[in-house]
Amino acid sequence: MKFSIYRYNPDVDKKPYMQDYDVVLEDSDQMLLDALLRIKDLDDSLSLRKSCREGVCGSDSMNINGKNGLACVTKLADLEEPILLRPMPGLPVIRDLVVDMTQFFEHYNSVKPYLVNNDPVPETERLQSPADRAKLDGLYECILCGACTTSCPSFWWNPETFVGPAGLMQAYRFMVDSRDQALDERLENLEEPDRLYRCHNIMNCVEVCPKKLNPNAAIANIKDLKFEQAREHKAASKKKIEIKAI
Amino acid sequence: MLIELLTKRYPGMRAWLMQRLTALVMAVYSVMLLVRVAILQPSIYEEWLSFFQPLWFRIASWLFWICLSLHAWLGVRDVFKDYVPNYDVREVLLKILAVLLSVYIVWATWLFLVY
Repeated sequence: MKFSIYRYNPDVDKKPYMQDYDVVLEDSDQMLLDALLRIKDLDDSLSLRKSCREGVCGSDSMNINGKNGLACVTKLADLEEPILLRPMPGLPVIRDLVVDMTQFFEHYNSVKPYLVNNDPVPETERLQSPADRAKLDGLYECILCGACTTSCPSFWWNPETFVGPAGLMQAYRFMVDSRDQALDERLENLEEPDRLYRCHNIMNCVEVCPKKLNPNAAIANIKDLKFEQAREHKAASKKKIEIKAI
Repeated sequence: MLIELLTKRYPGMRAWLMQRLTALVMAVYSVMLLVRVAILQPSIYEEWLSFFQPLWFRIASWLFWICLSLHAWLGVRDVFKDYVPNYDVREVLLKILAVLLSVYIVWATWLFLVY
């Protein structure tokens, strides 16, 4: 099977280049990651990240024939040859297919991706009704592979300010969590014009997500929550005025 | 509630919502314009002049122009933010855009008052 793989070792190479490989695969090599490991047996200078090999850890996300995806869940049979493999776009390359995801995780951290609850810690767990728990479906499954964010042109254009689809979806995941108490702060946190509103509904994020999630819908729902917040603020200030009048 | 969202308290939502509200006004005006053209079918200059003569329609046209300018400002500003990474160049381009749109608004206001 023919491959053309992006190679770049900043210690040795002046600029990146594409290296061709022609590999004989075994019958058991069904997924792209299997083939990559076969190539690595032949050329151990090739660098890539991998861990779980079953689409859970999100380590081996890369650009496959022009579209971001996970090597471990991409079937070789579905790919056209020569298979072009590049690192995920929009992030600095450390080496070959390995990118520096610092900025991605900085954006992720900026949305406070953890439960904020100031109530005393209960003896057992914080319970949720089945309906409240269901609100997290389609959100909590994100494995933070970065495929969506690095395929988003708005992120390429404004990487320092735009949180990106993955970070925004995690922001929404905690906004709708019935156990969380920081909805107002979370919405305020995204009010800066470029953090949320750079999303132009390009939908690349939805197309590439290996877990078939919909960050675009989450972003639209955050805007709905903004409307809700404004309505509540107005009702609260009206109540204050009425109390003053009394 | 919409007015609340257009305040400085919501800088991101303000621009986003304004772009949609102005689009809505322009869409309504466009439909109205087409329906009016279909009904009155103006062809010569005098007929077009009287087409725009009613005060309500002149106010609507002026409002359309204001919305178009605001919509263009927000949209082109976004495009500059995406495609012009150099801050100084972007600022110059935004100033040129602001002057251009201001001239258009003055022109539209003059037309509204004169005709």
